[in-house]
Amino acid sequence: MPTAADSAPHLPAGNNGDREPVFHVRRLERIYGEGTAAVTALAGVDFDLFHSELIVLLGASGSGKSTLLNQLGGLDSPTHGTLRYRGWNLAAADEPGLTQFRRDAVGFVFQAYNLIPSLTARENVALITEICRDPMAPEEALQLVGLSERMDHFPAQLSGGEQQRVAIARAIAKRPAVLLCDEPTGALDVHTGITVLEAIERINRDLGTLAVIITHNAILADMADRVFTLSDGRIVNRRTNTRRGSVRDLAW
Amino acid sequence: MSLLDRKLLRDLRALKSQALAVALVMACGLATMIMTRSLILSLGTARDTYYEQHRFGEVFARLKRAPNSVREQLAAIPGVAVVQTGIAIQVTLDVPGLAEPAVGLLNSLPERGEPALNRPYIRAGRLPVGRTTRSELAVGEAFAEAHDLKPGAVISAILNGRKQSFTLSGIVLSPEFVFEAPPGAALPDNKTYGVFWMPYRELATAFQLYGAFNSVALTLAPGASEGAVIAAVDRVLAPYGARGAYGRANHPSHRRVDDEIRILQGLSVAFPLVFLSVAAFMTNSVISRQIALQREQIAMLKACGFGNAQIGAHYFKFSLAIVVAGVGFGAVGGVFLGHKLVVMYHIFFRFPQLDFLLDTHVLVTATLVSAGAAFVGVAGAVRRAVRLPPAEAMRPEAPASFRPALAERLGAARWFTPSFRMALRNIERRPVRSGLTCLALALATAILIVPNSFRDGIAYVLDFQWDIVQRQTVTLSLVEPGPARAIADFSHLPGVVLAEPFRFVPVELRAGPITRRVLLQGLPAHGNLSRVIDARPQQLALPARGIVISSKLAEVLHVRPGDEVIAKVLEGAERELTVPVVGLAEDFAGMAAYMERHALNRLLLEGDQISGAHLAVAAGQWTEFLYAVKHTPRAAGCVIKASIREGFRKTTAESIGLLQKMYGIFATIVAFGIIYNSARISLSERARELATLRVLGFTRGEVGAVLVGELVLLTIVALPLGLVIGGLFARGIITTVNTETVRLPLVLTAANYAFAVLVVAVASALSALFAARKLAEIDLVSALKLPD
Repeated sequence: MPTAADSAPHLPAGNNGDREPVFHVRRLERIYGEGTAAVTALAGVDFDLFHSELIVLLGASGSGKSTLLNQLGGLDSPTHGTLRYRGWNLAAADEPGLTQFRRDAVGFVFQAYNLIPSLTARENVALITEICRDPMAPEEALQLVGLSERMDHFPAQLSGGEQQRVAIARAIAKRPAVLLCDEPTGALDVHTGITVLEAIERINRDLGTLAVIITHNAILADMADRVFTLSDGRIVNRRTNTRRGSVRDLAW
Repeated sequence: MSLLDRKLLRDLRALKSQALAVALVMACGLATMIMTRSLILSLGTARDTYYEQHRFGEVFARLKRAPNSVREQLAAIPGVAVVQTGIAIQVTLDVPGLAEPAVGLLNSLPERGEPALNRPYIRAGRLPVGRTTRSELAVGEAFAEAHDLKPGAVISAILNGRKQSFTLSGIVLSPEFVFEAPPGAALPDNKTYGVFWMPYRELATAFQLYGAFNSVALTLAPGASEGAVIAAVDRVLAPYGARGAYGRANHPSHRRVDDEIRILQGLSVAFPLVFLSVAAFMTNSVISRQIALQREQIAMLKACGFGNAQIGAHYFKFSLAIVVAGVGFGAVGGVFLGHKLVVMYHIFFRFPQLDFLLDTHVLVTATLVSAGAAFVGVAGAVRRAVRLPPAEAMRPEAPASFRPALAERLGAARWFTPSFRMALRNIERRPVRSGLTCLALALATAILIVPNSFRDGIAYVLDFQWDIVQRQTVTLSLVEPGPARAIADFSHLPGVVLAEPFRFVPVELRAGPITRRVLLQGLPAHGNLSRVIDARPQQLALPARGIVISSKLAEVLHVRPGDEVIAKVLEGAERELTVPVVGLAEDFAGMAAYMERHALNRLLLEGDQISGAHLAVAAGQWTEFLYAVKHTPRAAGCVIKASIREGFRKTTAESIGLLQKMYGIFATIVAFGIIYNSARISLSERARELATLRVLGFTRGEVGAVLVGELVLLTIVALPLGLVIGGLFARGIITTVNTETVRLPLVLTAANYAFAVLVVAVASALSALFAARKLAEIDLVSALKLPD
């Protein structure tokens, strides 16, 4: 359990050891609207997420998994509860603080890739590495996702799987502490989806980045260290895989 | 109201600030159109009513002296309706409160009854009555206002060498002096030049002209030929020292009013065209974007059975709503500016009544023209929308494809940051839109150049005229040309450092079928005070033979140095002389011809005669000098450079100041509107991209920079382009103003350019900031969702 960093005013930079949680979440609630119109999207979530873990958050549409990802990614703030990133109080952060957090600590992978159409693969990655403290070279990031050959192509010239791998390269080039993937294979066929998941797995394994994948596809659960299933804003099931399955063996 | 119309109203509300930006740009065009057309109507109506009610003559003539009986001969000319004869004489005035002498043109009033033609309009007091204890004068309004003279005030004038004081009986206007300035002047100088009226008997007696006249005005019978009447008048008056009759077209006051109307006519087309084109482009971009956003709605409507015409009409109504707002703002703006300009015209033109008249026809035209512009603007987008098969429209648009920008393909890529590349590639992907945005900004810059180039042109003319051409402190003219020894009297006036005599004679120059009346100036060959300057600009020495003329006059007469012109002397005995043109002079107001003075004397078959002298006066003895001049009987007119110059400066500052403000507002509206509109459209098109960048950790400022980067680049290209276009605009308008009475050189200064760049850059920057505020509304979470 964290103690020392509770009052840390600055965004923690380094990795302080394997057993300090990257995220510390307790009784986390997110309620939209007020009074009778209030909608509870998260109704008290507890967990700790650690360095180099691969987490899968499962849930149907409306289960609250996207809301939870928004909280972890610094896109939204909780209504109640504790949300700490390496001991830093993420729940109380203001807008510039959240922007800084996203910039330094989080790599996002979107369901629709969200590449900038006017920039090539290499430039899409470089756009982000330019604003980071200690990025890897765009070429290195693209090599990690197996796209060395197609670095100078524009998004419109790449397949869906290739675009998603560019997005992953963009997300990891900043050496983030956490990689948040929102339905990363949602728009892809099985084969392409597997190459994308392999890329995420390799990053998680080689760089030790905490990877959180949210999906409604239960098959992905096998590749995770731990699996949380959400329903109605609560974690209704927790499962720990003693041995992670290979992405190759996944089938849907 | 149909549900489709209700949708229209809600869509409009959502787009209100963009619609407003387009409507305001449109309003600029309509305001100039309504303002100029209404001013043409106002000036034209005021002029025609005035001419009609106060019986302005149609043919005019000046002569030395003819007995009153000659009037019957004039009346007998076929085609002449009414003849009015009288006396008009220029005198020196002594005005209380004015240190320097002023020039007054005294006109006679008939002994009995009202004048048949050129009837004065009484603004205050009454017309002068003869044989009272003290002689009375009526004064022209412009001069009275410049000196704050009221009926009852006393001023002195030197009449035929005798100083006499007069009581002002009233303040009057005359259709002959709508533009109350000496002939040939481009701007009025009401401090030192005034028009007066006094009873015929007193004026005639003072100048030994009783029973005679020296000025004629007449009207033509219906269907009469002006040319024939002028020729006949010239024949009748030839024995009496006539200076040649002329029609209204050559009447200095009438001509100045006409020039003004012509300039307004040019402006009433040019500027609305610019603004309405920009507005059409903006309408197109707003509606195109709206249609792109509503692709699926259009598909749904078509799937539900709405016809192409209904859908087309829906979007066209959208643009019509903008037109209605534009016409509304434009009408209010046009009427407001029109009123302001009418007030300014009071400085130049004196009518009994000059009211702002709204040209109601122009409102209809303006509405049609801007509806047409809007229609052209939306037609293409609407056509694409209704052609879309419903099934295709249901799918999202294909992702945009890009390629490296030209500059990168040429190898400049390594210096570019990714955000800069985004901007470059976005510009290149939509060349038409980028080009038009750039052009619109350039036009905004360009219209700012125009009024300032007028101001600088006028300043240049004033400097040129009074620092290079006319370097005298003061010009004294004699009542009648006299022997050159009079120069000695002038040289002995207190403070006179240098005196240079001149001999001026009115002539008519003819080359082929074209004739022009000018003042032929006989000057010393190498004058130090009044000099003849060529285009270089360097002083031209006047040769012992031949004539130097204004380059504008050479252009009008179609002659070049080496050609010959025929000069008909319009003073004394009529003579025609053939003289070679030996050089061209550069001047900006009126047209002139120059000769070496002795050469002129020889041509006129006279001795060493002068009609006045230019003097340089020491500043220390100025007061004594002025006192002495006011009491010099032989001096008929005294023109002081500094006061004219100051008068010009004030008048131009006032009128140009208003234009500067007006164009400044227009340019700001266009720059603000175009940038705001472009930024908003870009924000709408790239919302997902920008939200993604925010999620990836870009700050709001960094995302703002990505959003406006493209516009910054376009502005940087537009500014120099605008300066070039502005120069062309200024040249175009100055060419329109390049008349025989007024000319302006094209002067483009760094300060002018800097001001235009500054205004457009600041307006653009503020507008971009204003639009970028919308970035705060971007929903970050939307980036995570699949595109709609």
